[in-house]
Amino acid sequence: MTAVVEEDVSLVRDAWRRLRANRLAVVGLCYIVLLVVVAVAGPWISPYDFLSQDVTMRSAPPSLVHWMGTDQLGRDVLSRVIYGARTALIVAVVVTGISLAIGIVLGAIAGYVGGRLDAFIMWLTDVTMSVPSLLLVIVINTSLKPPLQRWLDELFLATKNPIFRDTMWLDFVLVFGAMTLILWPPYARLVRGQILSIRNRNYVTAARALGLPARTIVRRYIVLNAIGPVIVAVSAGLGAAMVLESAFSFLGIGVTLPTPSWGNMISDGLRVWRNAPHLLAAPAIVLGLATIAFSFLGDGLNDALNPRQKHR
Amino acid sequence: MLLFVARRVLVWIPSLLLILFVVYALAFYGAGDPIKLIFLKAPGDVAYNEARIEAVREAAGLDRPFIAQFASYVGNLLQGDWGNSLITGQPVWRTIAAAAPVSGQLGLATIILTTLIAIPLGVIAALNQNGKLDYITLGAALAVGAIPPYVVGPILMVSLILLLPPGSIPYGWGGIFDVRVILPLLVLCMAPVSIIVRQTRAAVIEVMNDDFIRTARAKGLPERIVVLRHMMRPVLTPVVTQLGIIMISLVNGAIFVELVFGLPGLGRLAVQSTVDNDYPVILAVTLIGAALVMLSNLVVDLAYPLLDPRAHAARSDR
Amino acid sequence: MAQEDSGRGLSRRSFVKLAAAVAGAALPLGWQQALAEEGVLKIVHLTLNPDWSPLRGGGSHYNWQSLIWASPMYFDPEGNIHPYLFTSWQPNEDWTVWTFDIHPDAVFSDGTPITAAHVKGSWELNARPSTRNQRIDLVLSSVAGFSDVHTGGARELSGVRIVNDKQIEVTLEGPDPIFDLKIANQLAPIVKVEDVVDENGDAKEEWWQPANGLVVSGPFRPTLVDMTTGQVEYEPNPLFFGPAPALTRVELMPIEDTVVAVAALQKGEFDAHTELRVPNLIEQLGEEFASGPEIPKGQHFWLSTRTAPTDDPKVREALILAIDREGLKTVTIGDGPSKKAEQVLNAVSGVDPDFEPYPFDPERARQLLAESSYGAPENLPSLMMVGISAPEFEAAAQYIAEQWRQNLGIDSVQMKPQIDAYSGPDQGNVQIFRDDVATRVPDAVVYLMASIHSQSSNAQNKMGGYRNEKVDALLEEASMLPPSDPRRDELAREAQRLFRNDYVFIPWYHEVVPKSAMPRVHNFGRSLDLNVSEPWKITVGG
Repeated sequence: MTAVVEEDVSLVRDAWRRLRANRLAVVGLCYIVLLVVVAVAGPWISPYDFLSQDVTMRSAPPSLVHWMGTDQLGRDVLSRVIYGARTALIVAVVVTGISLAIGIVLGAIAGYVGGRLDAFIMWLTDVTMSVPSLLLVIVINTSLKPPLQRWLDELFLATKNPIFRDTMWLDFVLVFGAMTLILWPPYARLVRGQILSIRNRNYVTAARALGLPARTIVRRYIVLNAIGPVIVAVSAGLGAAMVLESAFSFLGIGVTLPTPSWGNMISDGLRVWRNAPHLLAAPAIVLGLATIAFSFLGDGLNDALNPRQKHR
Repeated sequence: MLLFVARRVLVWIPSLLLILFVVYALAFYGAGDPIKLIFLKAPGDVAYNEARIEAVREAAGLDRPFIAQFASYVGNLLQGDWGNSLITGQPVWRTIAAAAPVSGQLGLATIILTTLIAIPLGVIAALNQNGKLDYITLGAALAVGAIPPYVVGPILMVSLILLLPPGSIPYGWGGIFDVRVILPLLVLCMAPVSIIVRQTRAAVIEVMNDDFIRTARAKGLPERIVVLRHMMRPVLTPVVTQLGIIMISLVNGAIFVELVFGLPGLGRLAVQSTVDNDYPVILAVTLIGAALVMLSNLVVDLAYPLLDPRAHAARSDR
Repeated sequence: MAQEDSGRGLSRRSFVKLAAAVAGAALPLGWQQALAEEGVLKIVHLTLNPDWSPLRGGGSHYNWQSLIWASPMYFDPEGNIHPYLFTSWQPNEDWTVWTFDIHPDAVFSDGTPITAAHVKGSWELNARPSTRNQRIDLVLSSVAGFSDVHTGGARELSGVRIVNDKQIEVTLEGPDPIFDLKIANQLAPIVKVEDVVDENGDAKEEWWQPANGLVVSGPFRPTLVDMTTGQVEYEPNPLFFGPAPALTRVELMPIEDTVVAVAALQKGEFDAHTELRVPNLIEQLGEEFASGPEIPKGQHFWLSTRTAPTDDPKVREALILAIDREGLKTVTIGDGPSKKAEQVLNAVSGVDPDFEPYPFDPERARQLLAESSYGAPENLPSLMMVGISAPEFEAAAQYIAEQWRQNLGIDSVQMKPQIDAYSGPDQGNVQIFRDDVATRVPDAVVYLMASIHSQSSNAQNKMGGYRNEKVDALLEEASMLPPSDPRRDELAREAQRLFRNDYVFIPWYHEVVPKSAMPRVHNFGRSLDLNVSEPWKITVGG
């Protein structure tokens, strides 16, 4: 039995070693870690309050006082970019997490149970993946927000509980909801595919023949072998979720003014980029780098976990 | 084969119906009364007349219960009547018929361009794996894919306007062979090219070390023939499967590109109708988008076994 | 030289022309169209317009109606009324019957004389609900029989009588001393009714397409209305009964992206814009482009009296007093042509010089909030602002929200940006509406009737059914008085003062109608009707 345990550990260590060797992936990882740190530490490290306006210093270019300059209302751009990082990461993590959870559950059911249920779930993924996602999200947002808003307000007036009044999180919830609705199918299909292919592999049959309990089989063989592609998908998914969120806030859905998000900062910046290019450059560059970082990381993870390539 | 296609097309019906139902319900219950909205949006000096609003609503059949309205919508759809726009009163199919060819041509051109650009690049990168050419190509592909299309579009556009000689605004639609289409196509291709370059590269790398390639090389065949004859098929496979994803990214990217470059396509129509809460148009555009994606998935599924005979058996296990 | 060569076929002149033609053909197709030409006015249009009917009483194409339609009378940029299609008009003693004379030479672009029958038929067509003319009430509401046509389904305006081919008599429901002012605009154009309507009396589909035989009455006529690309072209109307226009052509092309539109205008590709709303307009396109006569139109924020918490007058007063509106001005309109507003009225004779502006008093605001039924900012439900659909509105909304946060401690303000368009009061909890109020009649009473009278759309929708009976009574009384009576304006001012003390709006700024054209365009003066007053005089270049 110890032999099997060793195998587990060295698999992970092996993958990690390969990942570390990939310079691009490491760079990507570092940038992402930086983003996470900045996002978490946001309120403490921001030089200014991201909402406060200094009417005397509007559209100021980057300087020692304001490292990334100020916007048309006199707000510090750096502080807003930092807050935007929080928004981006929260949305990306939560959305990917929920989609993943839904995907795993549905994919596992489809893979294990098979038959009609499998066909139905696959049909559902088909349909969901066919709808133009942007359109669906816009429609969801414009339709559901007013009644939800109303309901929340009634709750507030009834209970006087401030939680219901601060409706910024309603934006988040709607964005999350709409995005998970679009993003869960790929995870479900992936998980289902993995389960189907692994279930019939020789070592699983052997383990079953040996009489190992199902729980152990799942944990030791299926999860470990299936998890590779899932990790890669999650990494790509996080990047995609981030970009999607910026697209939405660019269009004016989801995170709304005055809450900063890289997307709505880009949209503002686009209007004045000829007079004040720093307003566009800051969020666009940060977002672009984040996307690239996730790509590098994803590719690196793929290489590390699926070592089929050999150098010539 | 025919049975396969027929079965797939049959499945479209409940799929589209489900999509229709969801979007219709959302618009109906959430977005609010479009007629009232038209009046409410009118500027302050326009009179507000309850009786008139009611009269218009009744005329548009908006005072019936949800199921009745949905049923009559579907019924009309089956007879070819897509309804009339709530804003302009024009038949929806006409608006769609004007916008669809624009988006269609753009989409087709993008796919062709992407294939022509991305596959060779991906192959070159793979053949030079970990060499300078590889890093440059990969880096460029990643960078290009990371910039959101809605950033590049306006910047490129305005730069061009200011730098080029007079008489040259790359704005508006003049047909697919008009020079003004270059910039929007470029921007539309960015994301798909980025994906396909990387996919092709990965596929070629994977295949390059496969047994049958080594056999071919051992036989002494020239490299070029090795590449062309043996690698092309497995290389094209992931590309074709990516087609579905490309379609989706096209549909989303089209929205931004059409808005910025003034192309009167479906993307622009979609945004305009959501802003106006013009639900017959919203429904129609969603349906078409979904149908397009389903169609491309079908094409992919049909093409797959042609490209990779090994996949034939595994078709049901997608 | 030319004479010498002409015998041999290729004179220098024709060679140059040939070379130009070759060069022109070599230039990529789309680019050729945009080369600047003298005598041609090139306009950037706002959007791909699906509907070019002139009978809508508005719409993005409204600003260009005067190019192709002759209105009964028109205002010049200084606010003076001029005869046009109607040469003279006469009320009776008690302002209940008006007689209008039609220009003896007035014809449509196909030569058909414009008669009183056309006038009556057009007014009836405009009044019908199926025509969807948004603002017909502003024009014809005082005419006898109007409501029968407008909401009742009748076909005929009983108060309009054809005296003879060139004279028409209008009987009103009650005295209306300014009925003439109400028709001096492009809201209800006179069209060749017999060509426009079908057998039910409704306007035919796309009757306004040149391909369908459109005839117009103005100095230009449309030769191209392309629904796919949105391009529109006008050429001079040879049968126009007024002075011949100076321009040889007018072209409209839609460019929806404002950044691109600005660049195109700067480059010289285009000469004018339908309606450009961008930050820093003066910096980008010059003062002449952005300026014009002040018109009776204002952008303000309106507070709903029906929704919590703005249903509490103390809360409203607190909200208003807590905003430093000087800062609001700096951040939004800056030093531009628009003027900071204190009262609703502007650019009319009834403007109140003694109007007491709302002070900036954060102390008092906090006190009021404490005294209100809510007691403290934490107890207030979240505030929602709508109508925040353009960059300047966003800036204003964010500024105001920040003022409330700093001065009152309110931290829950939501604003609805672009796509999330609008939520009417019956759809929830919107308390603050950004919207404009305007009038096309240069009269204080009409201006206030459209903005603060309880029957106005503004009062009903933006102020949540605001109703102050004294205000209503004063305005109604004033509307009976002739413009020459000073009591008319006095009553209007009194009504406005009462309105002030109800604390229902946050004054923002008063608008000018910008020239919206580059300096090389001349005689482009626009009136409060947003149309160019005398389009036959427009020239480009030189």
